[in-house]
Amino acid sequence: MTERAMRLVGNRPPQVQARERVTGEAQYVDDLAIPGLWHGVTLRSPIARGRIVEIEPDPDFDWSRVVLVDARDLPGRNVLPLILDDQPVLAEREIRHPFEPVMLIAAPDRALALEARNRLNLRYEAKPIAVEISDALEARVKVFGEDNVFKQIDIAKGDLEAGFAAATIELERDFWTGPQEQLYMEPQGMIAAWEGDQLVLRGSLQCPYYVQAAARAVFGLEPEQVRVIACELGGGFGGKEEYPSLLAVHAALLARKAGRPVKMVYDRAEDMQATTKRHPSQTRIRAGIDAEGRLTALAVDLVLDGGAYCTLSPVVLSRAVLHAGSAYACPNVAVRGRVVATNTPPNGAFRGFGAPQALFAMETMMDLLARAAGLDPLEMRRRNALRAGDETSTGQVLEQAAAADVLERAAEAADFRARRELYDRPQTGSIRRGIGLSLIMHGCGFTGAGESRLKGRLTLDLDARGEQLLVQVRTGSTDMGQGMRTTFKQLAAEILGLELDEVEVAAQDTALVPDSGPTVASRTLMIVGGLVARAARQALTSLGLEEGAGAEALRLALAGRGRLEIEEVHEPPATLFDEDHYRGQAYPSWGYACTICEVEVDMTTFEPRIVDVVTCQDVGRAIHPGIVEGQIQGGIAQGLGYAAFEEVQMHDGAMVNANFNRYIVPTAMDLPPIRVLLHESGQGAGPFGAKGIGEMPVDGAAPAYVSALAQALRTSFRELPVTPEAIAESFLRPRPGKADA
Amino acid sequence: MMRLPKFRFEMPGTLAEAAAIVAENPDRTRLVAGGTDLWPNLKRRHQEAGCVVSLAKVAGIAGIAGDGATGVTIGAMTTLAEICENDMLARDYPGFVRAVRSISAPVLRNMGTIGGNLCLDTRCTYYNQNEEWRRSIGYCMKAEGTVCWVAPGSSRCWATSATDSAPVLCAIGATIKLVSTEGERVIDLAALYQDDGIDYLTKRRDEILTELRLPAVGGAKSSYWKLRRRGSIDFPVLGVGAMLELDDQGVCTRAAVWLGAVRSAPVACADAAAHLVGKKIDENVVAEAAKLARKPAAPLDNTDFVVAWRKTMVERYVDGVLRELAGLPEKVKNPRHGIACV
Repeated sequence: MTERAMRLVGNRPPQVQARERVTGEAQYVDDLAIPGLWHGVTLRSPIARGRIVEIEPDPDFDWSRVVLVDARDLPGRNVLPLILDDQPVLAEREIRHPFEPVMLIAAPDRALALEARNRLNLRYEAKPIAVEISDALEARVKVFGEDNVFKQIDIAKGDLEAGFAAATIELERDFWTGPQEQLYMEPQGMIAAWEGDQLVLRGSLQCPYYVQAAARAVFGLEPEQVRVIACELGGGFGGKEEYPSLLAVHAALLARKAGRPVKMVYDRAEDMQATTKRHPSQTRIRAGIDAEGRLTALAVDLVLDGGAYCTLSPVVLSRAVLHAGSAYACPNVAVRGRVVATNTPPNGAFRGFGAPQALFAMETMMDLLARAAGLDPLEMRRRNALRAGDETSTGQVLEQAAAADVLERAAEAADFRARRELYDRPQTGSIRRGIGLSLIMHGCGFTGAGESRLKGRLTLDLDARGEQLLVQVRTGSTDMGQGMRTTFKQLAAEILGLELDEVEVAAQDTALVPDSGPTVASRTLMIVGGLVARAARQALTSLGLEEGAGAEALRLALAGRGRLEIEEVHEPPATLFDEDHYRGQAYPSWGYACTICEVEVDMTTFEPRIVDVVTCQDVGRAIHPGIVEGQIQGGIAQGLGYAAFEEVQMHDGAMVNANFNRYIVPTAMDLPPIRVLLHESGQGAGPFGAKGIGEMPVDGAAPAYVSALAQALRTSFRELPVTPEAIAESFLRPRPGKADA
Repeated sequence: MMRLPKFRFEMPGTLAEAAAIVAENPDRTRLVAGGTDLWPNLKRRHQEAGCVVSLAKVAGIAGIAGDGATGVTIGAMTTLAEICENDMLARDYPGFVRAVRSISAPVLRNMGTIGGNLCLDTRCTYYNQNEEWRRSIGYCMKAEGTVCWVAPGSSRCWATSATDSAPVLCAIGATIKLVSTEGERVIDLAALYQDDGIDYLTKRRDEILTELRLPAVGGAKSSYWKLRRRGSIDFPVLGVGAMLELDDQGVCTRAAVWLGAVRSAPVACADAAAHLVGKKIDENVVAEAAKLARKPAAPLDNTDFVVAWRKTMVERYVDGVLRELAGLPEKVKNPRHGIACV
């Protein structure tokens, strides 16, 4: 990296498309006007588990006006390809979760499609169900295999029993987290059209090439026969990572049979009921510390609820187990992670991807250990924070670790020690106050050898044949609000010496852009942005130019050949991580974050109020500090929703509060300003030393909130969310097991 | 996407015209003011209408006149935002203004009217859902079905009164004017409501609510506390409207305590009020009154929050409101959901 002053990196230009999004000019999938478009809807199972006996069409309905699709319309196997190939595109005989798609209906208008759906009578035989993690582990009802375990991962390091023998304090506790809904503002939507033998899919999606792969497998098509176009995206948060593949295949089946384009857009209730959630979890931690409060042994047994089909659960589990020890050095570690099958809709990708569950448990455990050792939470973390040269649970030796830096900076900005001491004094008024913190680390990019398999690609095209120099970045990464288009322009323009408006980012259309890998795992800026930087530097090298050359120099250098296209591929060695034994470099970079939360609890009503949030996050380098701060504030808001408000209420495996009225997310009135400190260590694996920042902010919010509540109320909470009712219950009707002093 | 069903739409310019159109077929006709309640209900097919009569162009039924010394009249078409911004009301009827400020969010208060909020449809978990959701449970008594899923053995509907403005207005003794082709009448606002989730208004279908009248303030103080999970948007899961008048010695001369969102109509806590009158108000008197207020509250499991907690909060909120009105030391500081006004 050169040391010259940067013109654009570190600036805050307006986001690409920001104006269009705010004014309503941006075209989302439901806004697209396509001639001859039909509308598709889904007939879903009303029960969690059973056998389909028959689907009776009402003889009084004119079925010639609509098109019906069931599993028999599939050209090949009835499988949505993903990790285990266990999920059918449409349920055929067996129903395994509520709202499972059984049949598809298309009609010239949505009302008629809905009317037709009402005229289909699905007769079934219900079977016993397993809807809780405990049901799955008992395995009386077998949802998957003999033991309901989709995947188990074990991590072992050191000598656990020796570690416990060396401990002066040993604790064992259980922790629980509930599901969480991604709640993107724009629901799932897809338009499928067959143009000759080419299938064109336009949708609200994070990963165009995932959708392409699914459609290719189901319809037996070549890559160029499936064109996927990502429309303007109204939020994703992981909810549009894998789910759009299923919706795309559904829409394509209807379009094929109807002989015309078909649009499927879920309404809010259907989206909340049928699509993926954050995995509920149950974690038991046994930990030992020595007389100085240092971890000597850590045993974690974590179970995630995967729902009825495997989807991405093994990968979610992988991230969960790798984050189970949080940002602490411990010589003796054993982690056992399992993801189990239940008769609920499949859970899937959600910002954080397994880490928030594991980190809530471990961070809350650290507070309990600190209390047992007579240390405050800050001191406890000081003594255990990972430092450069330390190794993680998989034996990855950290070249850089900013855990202690972010801890100290956040603690100072929040005046943590003084406030903690103040609130430790006896409190007798009607308002009780507490301040708590969390220290976490988040692995940026794909886990383990994932990137080696993906081989993400990106193209940079410089064209000087016309009046003006055209510079285009072509990537399959999508912009779901995280600012990909803006930061990629900054990177290319910075290195080439151009103005921002001299670089364009091509539309996310598989006919135009290469497969950069999915837009997930906090990898877009760090990995794909790294390809932008590499491609720009490669272009300069091959033209014999210096970094920051500028438009004029580029045009002159290109004069002979007119055009230069650079393709970069990300291909790290696959040997860095041993997936069989969970040893080695789990992530190319780890980000570190300390989040401090201050709460007031009204002892008359037990209503908590979050009064202050301070966070310091090691982002490596902020390419666009405004976007980074926005990611951090949004992530913390989502994490506090998870902690304090959001409760997916389930009945027999089905979400019953699937609306904005009863599924409560915080508003601006419910959160204080979130004070963000950016820690720019410059040591990330991304361009200019950047790290991924998409997910890390979510991780630390819930444990920080619960830590603050625990101080205010002189108790502890080990189950999320902690609502006013849960607080009231802990005082008025204490439940053994779920909260303790 | 939700679309409105087809219906005849009328926008008369006078009250007489409006009343005449409604009188043609009162049972199939609905009035719309700001539309923030009716339009979504029609879209979700909770409610239906052969004809919708908009009051937007009707002359003479909007605006605020008078003051606390003489009493105030407020036209039914006055928007909630206008009430929030009125300095006289904020000075003389602060409890009423606080209640109105707690309704929903700014954009809805810009459209919503006081008449509309007083006539707000009752709400329930089993009713405020989309059509498919409701069909999947075989609908409920309030719309299309026969069973009340909140209390399946019950012969009545238990949907919850959700108006924020009514409890405090009932407490201060507000009245309303109703107009029809047969003439007009003025009734106590309290008499507008009845405890039935379906027929929650006593007003005849051909009557138009045109005016809200607030009595002169005298020595009365009033307040409203609202319980909800968030500081904005949410409907109340408990509303406490109270009025207290004390003489020079601190002895209570008049009192009223009304609860919202705990039954299908605003509920008078008559025992609590009776306990206050004639007594010198201190912490014990207030605490006893608050305890008495629990009895008429019948929160059921059809709103946000756990029932047991809501029931507990009735006593605590009434205690808090009365303490505020009596100038006793606050126990609940800043009920954060009660005073949100953004």
